[in-house]
Amino acid sequence: MKISRAWLQTFFDAPLPDAAAIGDALTFHAFEIESTENVAGDDILDVKVTPNRGHDALSHHAIAKELGAILGIPHKSDPLQAVISLEPKTDAVKVAIENPDLCRRFTVALIQGVHVGPSPDWLRERLESIGQRSINNVVDATNFVMFNIGQPLHAFDAGKLSSQNGHSLIVRKAKDKEKMLGLDDKEYILTGAMLAIADGHTNEVVSIAGIKGGKPTGIDETTSALILEAANWDGVLIRKTSQVLKLRTDASERFQQVISPELAAYGLHAAANLILELAGGEIVGFVDEYPMPQGKREVAVSTEKVNHVLGTELSVEDVGNAFTRLGLPHAQVGDHFTVTVPFERLDITIPEDLIEEVARVLGYDKIPTLDLPPFPNAPEVNANYYAAEQTREELMAKGYSEVYTSVFADTGERAVANKVDSVHPYLRSNLVDGLTQALRRNVHNKDLLGLTEVRLFEIGTVWTKKGEEMHAATVGEKEKPEEQIVKPEAGDTYNTLALSIAARYQSFSKYPFIVRDIALWVPKGSDPDAVLQIIRAAAGALLVRAELFDTFEKGDPSTGSGQVKLSLAFRLVFQSLEKTLTDIEANAAMENVYSEAKNQGWEVR
Amino acid sequence: MQETNRGHIHPISSLIREANQIFYAMGFTFADGPLLESEWYNFDALNVPKDHPARDMQDTFFIKDEPGCVLRTHTSPVQVRYMESQMKAGMPPPYRIIVPGKVFRNEATDITHEAEFFQIEGLAVGEDISLAHLKGTLAHFLKELFKGASVEIRFRPSFFPFTEPSVEVDMRVVGPHVPEKLRDTWIEMMGAGMVHPSVLKNAGVDPEKYQGFAFGMGLDRLAMLRWGIDDVRLMHSADLRFVNQF
Repeated sequence: MKISRAWLQTFFDAPLPDAAAIGDALTFHAFEIESTENVAGDDILDVKVTPNRGHDALSHHAIAKELGAILGIPHKSDPLQAVISLEPKTDAVKVAIENPDLCRRFTVALIQGVHVGPSPDWLRERLESIGQRSINNVVDATNFVMFNIGQPLHAFDAGKLSSQNGHSLIVRKAKDKEKMLGLDDKEYILTGAMLAIADGHTNEVVSIAGIKGGKPTGIDETTSALILEAANWDGVLIRKTSQVLKLRTDASERFQQVISPELAAYGLHAAANLILELAGGEIVGFVDEYPMPQGKREVAVSTEKVNHVLGTELSVEDVGNAFTRLGLPHAQVGDHFTVTVPFERLDITIPEDLIEEVARVLGYDKIPTLDLPPFPNAPEVNANYYAAEQTREELMAKGYSEVYTSVFADTGERAVANKVDSVHPYLRSNLVDGLTQALRRNVHNKDLLGLTEVRLFEIGTVWTKKGEEMHAATVGEKEKPEEQIVKPEAGDTYNTLALSIAARYQSFSKYPFIVRDIALWVPKGSDPDAVLQIIRAAAGALLVRAELFDTFEKGDPSTGSGQVKLSLAFRLVFQSLEKTLTDIEANAAMENVYSEAKNQGWEVR
Repeated sequence: MQETNRGHIHPISSLIREANQIFYAMGFTFADGPLLESEWYNFDALNVPKDHPARDMQDTFFIKDEPGCVLRTHTSPVQVRYMESQMKAGMPPPYRIIVPGKVFRNEATDITHEAEFFQIEGLAVGEDISLAHLKGTLAHFLKELFKGASVEIRFRPSFFPFTEPSVEVDMRVVGPHVPEKLRDTWIEMMGAGMVHPSVLKNAGVDPEKYQGFAFGMGLDRLAMLRWGIDDVRLMHSADLRFVNQF
């Protein structure tokens, strides 16, 4: 969610610190910051609100409140603390909710005599700073309120709704294949699982509840009377509708997180006042359908419990101060706190939630580092893992190297229902098939790896109709594949087995390699390693592997004296990290080797 | 003839072996559970509500003609399985387990994402196990793992349905022998927190009496940091150009 630093500043008299300090404060006490950028002299922070705070924190007000709590900067005033009344009531708009389980509250304001036109600069700049497009003063006012305090709103042109002794809006299930042309000029085809707002007189859908308003009743320059709506919708309904329609809006993003129905009144009140300020007109009256008001909630926790969970030694004052800073009204008796949870904080339901509030506002760096006390019992030895480790050791000792292949296969006894890439949809029923493919791929690299034979093993899970089994399997170039069940094996304690001694992994070239052999006559008694070193140096940087693969001695016929000389044969592997090597390049490297051999007085066979 | 007789161990197996050695010495039992898991253990028992977005079709592999059956998306189901089986056997806490093993996410793969990967879960439950013990335990583990370097850890606020409070754990490795990419940089390592009371309750453990911490860390990522591996897909490549370096 994009948050403007200049916008945040409107909640405070004292100047806020710079964007980096704001970012750090939020990161270590509230939410991660995905990015910060400077746009036209303002800093825009992309704040990643955690899913538990989607209820209340998707607004500038909420982020400002967090920041105030963390940095100890007092808020000018908290708009959600105000007492709001949706008065006077009007019966010029009738509202009926057919599904109160999916629509907990529906409020409207009827405003007449407005002049729709462009927004003032301050409003356009606010919206544009967070990537929104300015539309007109009425629509911008509703969007501003949503980004300011979190309540999505919608404005209908009252003149485009039908009227028979007033207007009528019905919240009802959509019908299958019912259509609505959205404000974005796209036609949406609804289903019976979705919720719609319909014109009560014509039964035409005028809005997809909580997601998108309809074009025919939208606000434009001709609008003079409007019906402003602030409602509350079921989160799952909105999420599913949004998925099916492939339509995500700033409103749907907020409703699907479940927001408090109390907020609707604050949103409606703020937006109605802003519209009067920007577009003139007067409020005819309000309607508030709120069949089951949200109840008051209290959660209690003791200082002792806070310290017990966190491992801290906080005082009663520390805990009380944390609640005060966070704007959590509380009553204190001894070391016990009873917090009256603000209506918007739907995330706070159990004592542990309050403990988290204390911990994060004070800072997790205040949590000490404590070693665990000694465990009273010896740990158990896991029979499956013990057996797997024994098998692993045996197979490595025999020269097999360990690989992991995918559990997804082209054949098997059980299948995945919804694989994203839809290839290899089965769960493997054996290891050997995957290993055999792996063997084939590795054989090509034998020279590069300096192996005379590729031998692989895997220990892993396979699935049959009956269930899940752990198998071990081996494959090799010169042998039949083998596969068996790894049976659990009881052990008193784990053997201390060797770990990999690798220090760093070196990326390998993705390009093909070239192999060249060279055989040399060298004087008897020459050290093959010393010869190899000279060859390596002469072959240059493209040489990735060089190994002795054959050696024998024989009398030198040229001396006729039976003087013995030594034949050494080396296999040289050339490869580039950047490109496919050509024969010409390999030949050039070999020429250097031949010429160095000559310098050394060796004879190339 | 150039071939060494002994084969090579996969880096993940070596890492699991090492983690088990370190945690065993701290009293942790190696625990395991099925990869094909019920929705109950994978989600409900862990306080992930029915309508949670993570349960949507995209992220989780469901099994054809076997409703309620998923490839586990994390190692956390074993928390509940282990505690439940202990309680049924008449063994109340304290518990300490680690759960290294394979997990699955139904997503497209790239150099940092795999549909199948490895995690290690940790769980310690007792009458007095606190968030401070989580810090101590992780500091100890990472110090042992990055031997010779000094390791710092820090917590940041986060959210997981199965822990409360929840934290993100960052690590910074300091020292002259630390690879440049790692040195002096804070790196996000894992999610952790205090086990949510509902999870204890679902496992049959009394949350009024017991509390504890849990963490879950990606082993592929840990291996990548430890050895400077640049592509997660190498782990399942079965390519000896990779494996034979270990």
